[in-house]
This record gives sequence, C-alpha cells and structure tokens, in this order.
Amino acid sequence: MSVSETGFDPELYKRFPTTGERPPEEFERLKRAWAAPSGIARLTAVNNNFVGLWYVSTAFLFFILAGGLALLMRTQLALPLTGFLSQETYNQVFTMHGTVMMFLFAVPMMEAIGVMLLPQMLAARDLPFPRLSAYAFWAYFVGGLCFFASIFVGLAPDGGWFMYPPLTSTTFSPGINADMWLLGIGFIEISAIAGAIEILVGVLKTRAPGMTLARMPMFAWAMLVFAGMIVIAFPAIILGTLLLELERALNWPFFDATRGGDPLLWQHLFWFFGHPEVYIIFLPGAGLISMLIANLSRTGLVGYHLVVLALLATSFISFGVWAHHMFTTGMPTLSISFFSAASVAVSLPAGVQVFSWIATLASGKPQFNTPTLFLVGGLVIFVMGGLTGVMIGLIPFDWQVHDTHFIVAHFHYVLIGGAVFPVFAAFYYWMGMTSRRPLSERLGKWVFWLMFAGMHITFLVMHLTGFMGMPRRVYTYLPNLYWEWPNLVSTAGAYIFGLGILLFLFDLARNFRFSIDDQAGNSYGGGTLEWLPNGLYNTRSIPIVHSREPLWDDPRLGDDVEQGRYFLPGTATGLRETLITSPLRAEPQYVQIMPGPSVWPLLAAVFTAGFFLLLTVQAYTPAIVCGILTIPSVMRWLWETDRPVPQETVDVGAGICLPTYVTGPSTHGWWAIVILLVVLGMVFLMEIFSYFFLFGIHTSYWTAPPGFVSLLPVLAGYGGGAGLALLGRHLLAREGSTVWSPTTQLLLAAGAIGFGFAVDLLSWREHGLDPTLSAQGAIVYAMLGWQGLMVALAILMAPYLAARTSVGLVTRPHNTTFDVVTLFLLYAAAQGAMAAVVTRITPGAV
Amino acid sequence: MRRWLLMLGGLLVWAAHFFAVYAAASIFPGDPAAESLALVATLAAIGANGILLWWTLGRKRTAADGFDEWTWRVGAIGAGLSLLAVLWQGMPLIAST
Repeated sequence: MSVSETGFDPELYKRFPTTGERPPEEFERLKRAWAAPSGIARLTAVNNNFVGLWYVSTAFLFFILAGGLALLMRTQLALPLTGFLSQETYNQVFTMHGTVMMFLFAVPMMEAIGVMLLPQMLAARDLPFPRLSAYAFWAYFVGGLCFFASIFVGLAPDGGWFMYPPLTSTTFSPGINADMWLLGIGFIEISAIAGAIEILVGVLKTRAPGMTLARMPMFAWAMLVFAGMIVIAFPAIILGTLLLELERALNWPFFDATRGGDPLLWQHLFWFFGHPEVYIIFLPGAGLISMLIANLSRTGLVGYHLVVLALLATSFISFGVWAHHMFTTGMPTLSISFFSAASVAVSLPAGVQVFSWIATLASGKPQFNTPTLFLVGGLVIFVMGGLTGVMIGLIPFDWQVHDTHFIVAHFHYVLIGGAVFPVFAAFYYWMGMTSRRPLSERLGKWVFWLMFAGMHITFLVMHLTGFMGMPRRVYTYLPNLYWEWPNLVSTAGAYIFGLGILLFLFDLARNFRFSIDDQAGNSYGGGTLEWLPNGLYNTRSIPIVHSREPLWDDPRLGDDVEQGRYFLPGTATGLRETLITSPLRAEPQYVQIMPGPSVWPLLAAVFTAGFFLLLTVQAYTPAIVCGILTIPSVMRWLWETDRPVPQETVDVGAGICLPTYVTGPSTHGWWAIVILLVVLGMVFLMEIFSYFFLFGIHTSYWTAPPGFVSLLPVLAGYGGGAGLALLGRHLLAREGSTVWSPTTQLLLAAGAIGFGFAVDLLSWREHGLDPTLSAQGAIVYAMLGWQGLMVALAILMAPYLAARTSVGLVTRPHNTTFDVVTLFLLYAAAQGAMAAVVTRITPGAV
Repeated sequence: MRRWLLMLGGLLVWAAHFFAVYAAASIFPGDPAAESLALVATLAAIGANGILLWWTLGRKRTAADGFDEWTWRVGAIGAGLSLLAVLWQGMPLIAST
C-alpha cells in the first residue's frame, strides 16, 4: 500500500532511473550555474564545498591555538612555584583555553562538518540558505580571530570560561577583559544560531526523495538534534551575556545582591546553556561514531531506531541537568536530589549508544585502519569519562571533588573521547572527499597512538591530583603537597598529545590537496550518498533512496546519478536549484531557486563583527558606523532572494513537474523564520524566568508598577499592530485590493507596534523606576530593551517590504517576504503585550 | 505536527515532569507542598506515559507501511523510556519522606 505525506504518488518513483541519453549541453549548463568565482572573488563563493572547507579549517586552527594554550598551562604546572607564566597571564590563558575550545572549536567544528558533508550526504545541491552559511562562517572567522588576538595584548578575558559574577563585575574585573568575552562570545553565538537554522531546515527539507526519517544517515540525525538544541540552549547565554554586559556598562544590578540582584541568576542562565552545550558537542560526535562504525565495519548500525531515540532522549534530558553544576551553592535539598537523579539518568541513552556501537563492531568486519582506531579509542575514552560523570552526578561525591582537577579530568575524557577522536576519525575517513590524496595510514596510526597515550597520561593521573585536593584554576602550588609527580606526568602527557597533533599537521601538509573534481574517493568503501560522484553542484542528479546505505544496495547508483537518470538532471531554470522535500517521508514538493555568490554576506559579517568588537574597546563611533552599515548589507543580500522565475513549474525528470515558487508553512523560508522566532521567544522566556527569579529572591526591593490604566494604550498598540498585520496578509490574497494596500497595512502595523512600545517605555519612565537602583528596575528595562530591539527590526522590515513592493517584487496572492514580515510583526506584538502584562501583574509588584 | 508530537510524546512528558518537580521544589523550598506537588506531577506523568504507550503500540500494530511502523515504534519506546525515567526521577520523593 502506498502512503503519502503530501499527496505525491510514490508510484512515480518507479519511473527512475530513466533510460535514454540526456542532452549533451545539460551537464555543462549545470556546471556553469554552480561555478564559483575565482581569484579574490572566491571569497564571495557560497558553495558548501568552499564554505565548509574554510569553516573546518578555521575551527581546526582554533583547536591548535587553544591546544597551544593548554601546553603553556601544563608547562607552568609541571613543577611547583614556577614562574613561567604570571598569575594574570595564567588566568587569561585558562580562560581563553576553555572559551576557545568550547565556543570557537567544538561547536563551530561540528557545524562546519555539517555544512561540508550534509548536502552531499542528503544528495542536495546545497543547504537551503547558502548565503546564511557564508555569513555564519565569516562572522565566526573575523570575530573569532579578533577575539583570540586579545591575548596578545593582555586584554583577554580572565574570569574562567563561565565568567561567574561577582568575580566578573566591574568591582573585581575593572578592565575590558570581561567585556571582550561578553561581547565577543555573545556575537559568536549569533553565528552559531545562523548555522543551526541552516542545518535544521536543510536536514528536514532538502533530503533526497525517499530518504525518510527512518533512512537518514545517523550523522544527519545527530545534526538535526544538535541544531535543535542550539536553538533552545543558546538564547540563555545570549541573555546572560547581555545582562552581565548591561550590569558592567550601565550599572544595572542583575547580579548585585546589595541591590536585589543575585549572582546565582547568572549560574542558572549560564548552565541552562552550558550543560546542553556539552551534549551539543557530543551528539554530533556520537553521530559520526554511529555512522563511521557501521561503514567501517561493513554492516548496518545495530539498533538504529534505539540510537535515534537515544540521541533525542539525550537532548531532552540535557536541559534538565544544569543545576548539577551548582550542587555546592546551597540550593534546596529536594531540588538538587531531582537534578542528581536526572544527571545519572543521562547514562541510560548514552549506554544505549555505546552498546549499539560495540554490537555493530562485533557483528561486522572492522578493519585495522586509522579511522577505526580513532573510533574505538574514542569509545574507550568516552566510556571512562561517562563513568566518572555518574560519580559526580551523586551529590556527596560532587561536594568532595567540586572545583578540583578531578572535574578537569572528567570533562576532558568526555569531550576528547566524545568529540575530538570522532572528529579525527572523520578527517581520515572523509579526506578522500576533498583531497586528491588520502592521509597516510602509517602516520595516522602513529598519530592515534600518540594522542591516545598522551590523553591518558595527561588526564588519568589528573583524577588522582584532584583526589589529593588540588583545585582548578590555580597558577601554581607549594612543594611537599605530593602534587609534584602527578603534575609532571600530566605535563609530559600533554606534550605527547601535542606531538601527535604535530605529526597530523605534517601529514596534512604532505598529503592534503584540495580538489573539487579529482578527489581520492571512497577509499574506505562507505555506503552513503556523499560518495556519489560530485562537483560544485554536489550531485549530477538527485537519486531516490530506498535504504540507509544506498551505495551498498545498488552498485549502479553512482553511474545512474552521474548520467542524470534521477531528479533534476540539470538546471531546469538555468539557475542554482535544489529539490525541497517533505520532512517525514522526503517526498518532492517544489524546486528551490538558490542564490549564487555574493559579497554582501561577507560584508554583513565584517560589519557585525566590527560592531561588537569595537564596542568592547569602547570605540563607540566606529562601532555605531559598523552597526549601521550592517543593515544595508543584510538588506542588499536579501534583496536578490525571493524572486519567482518565469517558469511556474518545471520538469524535474521522468515527466514529473514541480512548482518553482511556493509560499506558506511547507516552505523552507517559513520554517527558517519560525525557528528564528523560537530563538527570540527563548530569549524572552529566559527574561521571564529571570524576572520571577529575581522577584522570588529579594521581594523587599520591589515596588508597585504603573497602574493598570497604563496597560490599555500599550495593549491597544500591540493588538492594533497584530490586527493590521493580519489584515495586510488577508488583503494580499484578495484580487480586488490595490498593489499598495497590503503593504500599507504592514507599515501601519509596524507603527502601531512602535506606539505600543513607546507608551510602555514612557509609562515606566514617568513611574520613576530607576534601572540602576534595584534589580526590578534593571530587569524591567532589560525587557523593554529587548522589546525595543524587536520594534526596531519591525520598523526596518516594513519599509524594506515597501521598497520591494515599489519595484514589483511582492508577488500575489502569496509572497514569502510578505509572510516573513507578517510573522515577525505578529511575534513582536505578542512579545510586547506579554512583557507589559507580566511586569504589571506580578503579585509583589502590584 | 501530530506525528512529531506522538513520536516525541514520551520525551516531552519526561521534560515536562522534570521541569514541574524542579519548579515545585524551588518555589516551595522546605515546604511539604513541594513534595505534594511533585508527587502529583509524577503521577500525572506516569499516567500520560501509560496512555501514550497504549496509543503508540496500538498505532504500531495497524501501521500502513514500514515507515509508519518505525515512527510508532520510536514513539512507543520513547514513552516506555520516559515511564522509567519518571519513576526514577520520582525516587527523591520516597527518600525525602
């Protein structure tokens, strides 16, 4: 029985592979459409092949840099009372090591591998928003390098990678070092979220036909979960960094207990992001292990559906364990007992995956090669880290080892085993996809053993150092505490690990030669779609997927794809295109016209980075100039998108016709804006949490809000704005309305929302609430500030839509840009109304 | 969306449960009300998981094709896992009484 998700008849799949010759010029047209600029203009390329490579290379550069900092630390700690690094420098070095590894290596590396591999793995021509990928990369590249450079001028942050206040308040951290972290990292999070939106929509909407959720490569599943977690978790740190920066810059006391704030609020916000962050790093690593272990063992993954469920379960539970980082803060016993139970429960889904990997290795025919070594080695290391994780999930044990080197050893076992080793396995396994020559197997085994041995020598003994009471983040120690030998051994191990990395770099320099059309190929015999013949267009035609390892099950598939015997064998419109499919069963829905190379995402990224980084050095005028220049850059980049082509439908192969322009909830654009609104909504939700948290802690600092009468014009503005936006959307679909009437409604809607916000702000100002005097004032004005940002965006979007209307780019009866602006206006109105109501009806504030 | 909700239903119940018990314990620290509320949340989550399990297993038996069967299987195992997790997460209540 054929079942359909979208109305597409699965019987049509039987028409493929087609027979007969394709027109000879078809392939040339396809190559022309996807050609990348050369010379300096190559920097404007948006093809995932280039952007992915740049992204991976930059993330690896940060791994090397942060690893270098680790060696500096280990050198300092090798012996007691050494003066290799001063205390101040050591503080900057350990802060930068943690920050760079977590924010500039681990998460971006996973996104980078996703950008590089996912289109090929899903047999898409590219991810759905290639310019967004380019923007995410350039923002990360420019921002990350400038951020790292701060260490060379002594301005690097020095408050630890979690930046706890009050240590990071202006009282104890008066310089701009902390601001560098807050603004730099806050900005890099924007890049991570941009990448996550791209990956979420890409995995759900651009899979090859027939690649149902049950046939998706495990790495794609892992990236789907990874991106979803970023969307939920990262807003907490965005809000946290914003609040701490506001406290530092404007003296708003969110975390100052003397004025009704609470430093624990930072810990809650930070760890609501920080613990999922660990899984955000581990889950793609787990996806890599699941996929590679099956391919390298020449068998299917044992318990595929259980591993999918384990990924999903880990992602859910990861949001319920943040307070296990706060067991020593004096939270109520019952609360920490619940957190302890949840923390230990994480071992269940992790165990499911580990046993699946062992069973897959046991049931297949694994070879003794470098990627397999890295996988098995990583598995051993990860399991050891997991076991100590269960130990520190138990409250009394955690109290004993909290903030000691035991914790340092634990998380290095988890992250090196769960992420670093799988990434190295991936490098060896997929090198043949991007390089003319594979990496050396002989040297690879040396690299593995050096890293594996170095890792254990460094960190196994560190458990003991921790048990003996050595605290983290101390730049030196006294002799005769019995810490000398374990520290010396750890330092020796770190250098052995570093030697392994050095050897890898040597091998890379010797063998890596980037290539688009002359790669070494599938030397490990993988069965998934990324090993189809490819070029800048990724795949000549988009195949139908009938199993999880299509290349093993249909040895002719590569040839048929290369001959153009499947979907979209060329370019139907002469432009860049890919097939958009449905999220569950991957049924073809429409052809997406994709944007080509552009300098605007690059410029937008440079200006955004300039805005944030110049703010950190208090160069306000250039920062504002950069901020202003970002706006036209983004608008110019978007201006070329969302343009229907003359062909309303095109033949995508075998006589099957699909539309080229679709709007509404099934489209990739709609999904992207909804995900963005979820991000914004999460920031708002965290604001509400902060509001009630602060209220619950120090009620005595709270005063009555403005009267309910002031709420009426606020709600009238927001309600009117929402109503006008909906009316505009309604008029767009009505034939009788004029060209301008729908857009005019949206312009008025933006004005009404602006009015609602202005009245709300004025009512608080007239009421006399001072954001510097109490945490209530601070959080209310922070909420107003966030709403002000939404209003400013709405006020920018509406004239942009008007400009598009004036040149006839707003199509009727439906238009994607119009839908996007309408959704945003509705969101801004709803958020503003909720904030106004909450801040007025909170019991203690009345 | 309905399919997603049923597939992820067990995990959503699990998440709702742990946020509910944290909220109860944090809003009423040291108060017996915290334990009562947490107990109510735990019983409600057990009930919700039971219903989900029954529902997804029933749908799995009458699945239209392999993919349908796969999604209901994931939903059913998720509900089962959630049932176990909620029971485990409720243990501190027993310890505290």
